[in-house]
Amino acid sequence: MVSEEYRGAKQWSRDKQAVFTVVWISFLTAAIGTMVFFALFDPVDLSGIFDEDLEIGRDAGYAAGFFFFWTLCALCSGVTAFLVRTAPKRDAKHREQ
Amino acid sequence: MNKPQGASMYESATKIYPREISGRFDKLSSLATIVLLGLFYSIPWLNWDERQAVLFDLPARKFHLLGLTLWPQDFPYLAMLLMIAAFALFFFTALAGRLFCGFACPQTVWTEVFIWMEQWTEGKRSQRMKLDKAPWSWNKLRRKGSKQILWITFSMWTGFTFVGYFTPIRELGADLIALNIGGWTLFWGLFYGFATYGNAGYMREQVCKYMCPYARFQSAMFDKDTLIISYDEERGEPRGGRKRSVDPREAGLGDCIDCQLCVQVCPTGIDIREGLQYECIACAACIDACDSIMDKMDYPRGLVRYTTENTLKTKQTRVLRPRMLVYATLLLILIIGLMTSMATRTPIILDVIRDRNTLYREIPNNMIENIYTLKIINQDERTRSFILSVEGVDGIVLDGVGETVDVDGSSVASLPVRARASRDDAYGINTIYFTVTAIDAEGVSVTEDSRFIGPTP
Repeated sequence: MVSEEYRGAKQWSRDKQAVFTVVWISFLTAAIGTMVFFALFDPVDLSGIFDEDLEIGRDAGYAAGFFFFWTLCALCSGVTAFLVRTAPKRDAKHREQ
Repeated sequence: MNKPQGASMYESATKIYPREISGRFDKLSSLATIVLLGLFYSIPWLNWDERQAVLFDLPARKFHLLGLTLWPQDFPYLAMLLMIAAFALFFFTALAGRLFCGFACPQTVWTEVFIWMEQWTEGKRSQRMKLDKAPWSWNKLRRKGSKQILWITFSMWTGFTFVGYFTPIRELGADLIALNIGGWTLFWGLFYGFATYGNAGYMREQVCKYMCPYARFQSAMFDKDTLIISYDEERGEPRGGRKRSVDPREAGLGDCIDCQLCVQVCPTGIDIREGLQYECIACAACIDACDSIMDKMDYPRGLVRYTTENTLKTKQTRVLRPRMLVYATLLLILIIGLMTSMATRTPIILDVIRDRNTLYREIPNNMIENIYTLKIINQDERTRSFILSVEGVDGIVLDGVGETVDVDGSSVASLPVRARASRDDAYGINTIYFTVTAIDAEGVSVTEDSRFIGPTP
């Protein structure tokens, strides 16, 4: 039966779901964040804040900004996903008491 | 390890082999794919006034859209455009379900093209399944190899096109031929190309099922009057196989012959007969499949069809409902707002920056002087001449600038200016207004306020 054949296709493993969801959602959020941030600030103006002699082009500035946001967002949603998934279950606690 | 027999802890993601189907909705979705991807791949090649018509020139921080040049200061337009897109999505979702998912989502559209390439090289559904099960052979290598070549070439072209929205594509093409692509350009091209390859070639429906936030919230936009793809259980059940000559009513059967075609064509591998499921991307392949069977059986079409929950329950479907009116009103307000603000947009921007080092200077003749930097941004393509003026304090005059100021097209002029006023008129903190007026055009003028600081009385 065809539907039987697809039974296994319905699930990714929980870990795979978590990893891909975190990567993807943080990617989308970082894309929006980067867009808003660099609409307001020019990477060339910003590079002077950290180090007067630091001269990075806009291309590198945008990329650095994007990966910074992506890492930050992935960290945030990754830790959140981890904590939510590894939290003690309410039922288990009730049973102990 | 203690795990149930027969079920692995990490359930394997069995590959879905969507079966090819032709019909009304398949034609519509092919058309949508061709139009949308056609636009995506051709737009960067179009020119407007000697310049690429659509170019998001990030290195220069300017967006060119046909004849319009947008600056970072025009960011509110982009924000409004995104809000319009979001409300349009809500509106159409409430009205007609996941139209976006089935026909317009980049994930769907690219996946469709990747499946076409898979069909050209590996054949029909049954052939693809056989090929995957078969041991490696010259034939399998040839088929799989040519699929990869097609996929990779297409992905690279996609990456190239994507970068072409940010870098002039004709120059990019020439650089590519000369193998002289810049580091970041190459990186983003490969990045986007690889993402396309992975998403459309391998992840496919898993993206919709596990990674797409819209798939999860859309149920909040649905109600009983939303158009959904649904199996008419009343009419179809009890399902069962039968000969064409058998009258289903006499045999005690519904119209569903349980041929499983609707399941085989489903790109997300669900059975629509189990009811509305969040995995359903509303691609309507099952409608085409079922209609083809109904035609063969000489039953009326529409056992699986676009309908609403209310219609299925033989109630009236209401199109005009409060939710629709709210979405439509918000959408209309945003569109009108965007259009009026774009139409009345002045092509100049004035920024006034007060010198932070000194509050004021006392100069001879009992005068007070404040120093400013004026940034005049000329968003027009051509050079313009402007007159600067200031008011707000009696007798205030500007020094350090000529009668008129010329600013080149698409550039920023930074002017240090001194404003002077008599001490008696300028005690304390005064608000003053700088105005920049274009000489050659009627009504092109902007005013920006700042402070003029004098001694405490």
